[in-house]
Amino acid sequence: MAASTTSQVYIDVIEDVMVKVRDEFVNNGGPGEEVLKELQAMWESKMMQAGAVLGPIERSTAAKPTPGGPITPVHDLNVPYEGTDEYETPTADMLFPPTPLQTPIQTPLPGTGDNSTYNIPTGPSDYPSSGNDTGGNADGKGARPAPYMQSPSPWMNQRPPLDVNVAYVEGRDEADRGTSNQPPTQDFFTMPSGKRKRNDLTSQYNAGGYIPQQDGAGDATHGDFEIEVPPISQHHIYHQDVCISFVSGRGISINSHHTISKGKMSADLERSTSRIPQLDGPIPYDDDDVLSTPNIYNYGEVFSEDYNISNTPAPPEVPASTPALLVQNEVGNDFDDDDDDEPPLNEEDDDDLDDMEQGEDQNTHHLVLAQFDKVTRTKSRWKCTLKDGIMHINNKDILFNKATGEFEF
Amino acid sequence: MATFELYRRSTIGMCLTETLDEMVQNGTLSPELAIQVLVQFDKSMTEALETQVKSKVSIKGHLHTYRFCDNVWTFILQDALFKNEDSQENVGRVKIVACDSKLLTQ
Repeated sequence: MAASTTSQVYIDVIEDVMVKVRDEFVNNGGPGEEVLKELQAMWESKMMQAGAVLGPIERSTAAKPTPGGPITPVHDLNVPYEGTDEYETPTADMLFPPTPLQTPIQTPLPGTGDNSTYNIPTGPSDYPSSGNDTGGNADGKGARPAPYMQSPSPWMNQRPPLDVNVAYVEGRDEADRGTSNQPPTQDFFTMPSGKRKRNDLTSQYNAGGYIPQQDGAGDATHGDFEIEVPPISQHHIYHQDVCISFVSGRGISINSHHTISKGKMSADLERSTSRIPQLDGPIPYDDDDVLSTPNIYNYGEVFSEDYNISNTPAPPEVPASTPALLVQNEVGNDFDDDDDDEPPLNEEDDDDLDDMEQGEDQNTHHLVLAQFDKVTRTKSRWKCTLKDGIMHINNKDILFNKATGEFEF
Repeated sequence: MATFELYRRSTIGMCLTETLDEMVQNGTLSPELAIQVLVQFDKSMTEALETQVKSKVSIKGHLHTYRFCDNVWTFILQDALFKNEDSQENVGRVKIVACDSKLLTQ
C-alpha cells in the first residue's frame, strides 16, 4: 500500500516538473521538446531501476486515440500472442520429413555446379512461424515480461507497424520487396576438386622441392639435420623416456626407451663448438645477475620456464638503498625539547565518533530527510517533531506527513 | 516560494541529478537549464509532500550523535524502530537530516 502510494507521488512529481519546465525547453531557444522527453524517459527508467517507481507508468496526460480515427492493429512483440485462432502444433514429421536412405542427387560441391544454388532470396518466409506458440503453457502468463521491462514512457512505444518477415532495404519500393536484388554468391573456390597433391605446391619452386625462406631471420645451418625415430608402440606412448642429444655437425637424434616413469623427460643437451648466431629475439645482457626478472630466455646453461612472470626482461636497474632512519633529536629544533611531555592534540577525541563519521556519507543505507517543527531535550531524553519527510529504509522509500521521534542519548 | 535543496538527496532526487549530469556531459542540456530543473524539482517535491502525503510515523532509538548547524539538525540513531500505519521497520543505524520548517513560511 505504502509502496504504491510512494510510487504514485513520485510519478506526479515527475509529471509536475516536466509540465513546469516545458516552457524553458520549448521557448526561449531551448533544446526542444524531444530533449525534455528524453530527460523524462531517463529519469523514469532510473527510478524503475532503483525500485522507487512501480511500472508500468500510466498517466492521465497520455495521448489517447481519437474515437473516429482509423485503428491500426499493432501487435506488441514483447507480449506473448493470445489470439483466438487455433493452430496445429507442428510435429517432427511435419517439420522434418524422413530422409530416404540413399540420396538420389549428389550434393554439388562449391564451384562445381552452377551458382544458382547459392542465390538465396530474402523474401517472405514460407516456413510456419512457431514464435507465437506458447509451448504448452496454457495461460501464457509465464512468458509475460516483468513490469520493469516495460518502456519508461508511452512515447517510446509509438512505432509504425512492422512486418518482421520482410527484409526492408532503404530506398526500395514496396513492389520490389517480394523479390531479391541481391547478386548471387560469388564463387571463391577455385581449387580443383579432389585431393591436393604434394607436388602441386612444390612444382613452382626449385627442382629439389626446396622452398626458400622469405621472412623472419635466417638460420645458419651447419650440416644436415637428421631425425631418427624408432617405431613406438602406441600402447606405451605415454610411458616413453625420450633422450634428445645434439651432436655437433650431425643433427638431432631422438631415442625413445620403454620405461614405466610417466611424464619424466631427461634432456641431455651437449653444446656444439660451432655456434648458431642469434638473429632474432631480445639481446641478452652481459650480466645476468642484474636482471630484474628471472632468466626466461635460457641464456644460461639451465633451462627454466616460469609462466607467472612477465615475458620481457627489464633493463638493468641499480637497486636503491634504503635510507637510514633519522633520530628525532637530530632533526628537531632546540625549542621543541620543552614540548615533549605534551600529549597529541587529538588524544581526547572520541574514536567511536570518528569511525562513524568516516563511513557516514560513503555507506549510508538508511536516511531520513524531513523538516523539523520542534526539537526539545530533557536531561538525556530528546524529542522532536518532523514533517514532510522521505525515509529510505531497508531499500524502501516511505513518505510521511508527520513524524515524532523519541531518542535516548 | 522558498524551497530546500534537502530532497535532492532522496532516491528521486539522486536519479534526477544523475540524469541531468549525463545530459549536461553529453552536451544535450546546458548547465543553467539543468539547475532550473533541479529548482523546479525542489518546489514540486515540497508541494507534493504537503498536499498528497497524509501518513504518520513514530521513531524511537538510541541517539548516538546530534548536531545543529546552519538551522539543520542532524541525528544519527542506533537500533532505531520506525512505526508506520502499515508496518514497522528495525534499523541498526540511520541518519536523520531535518531543516527548519519555519524558514519556508517566512
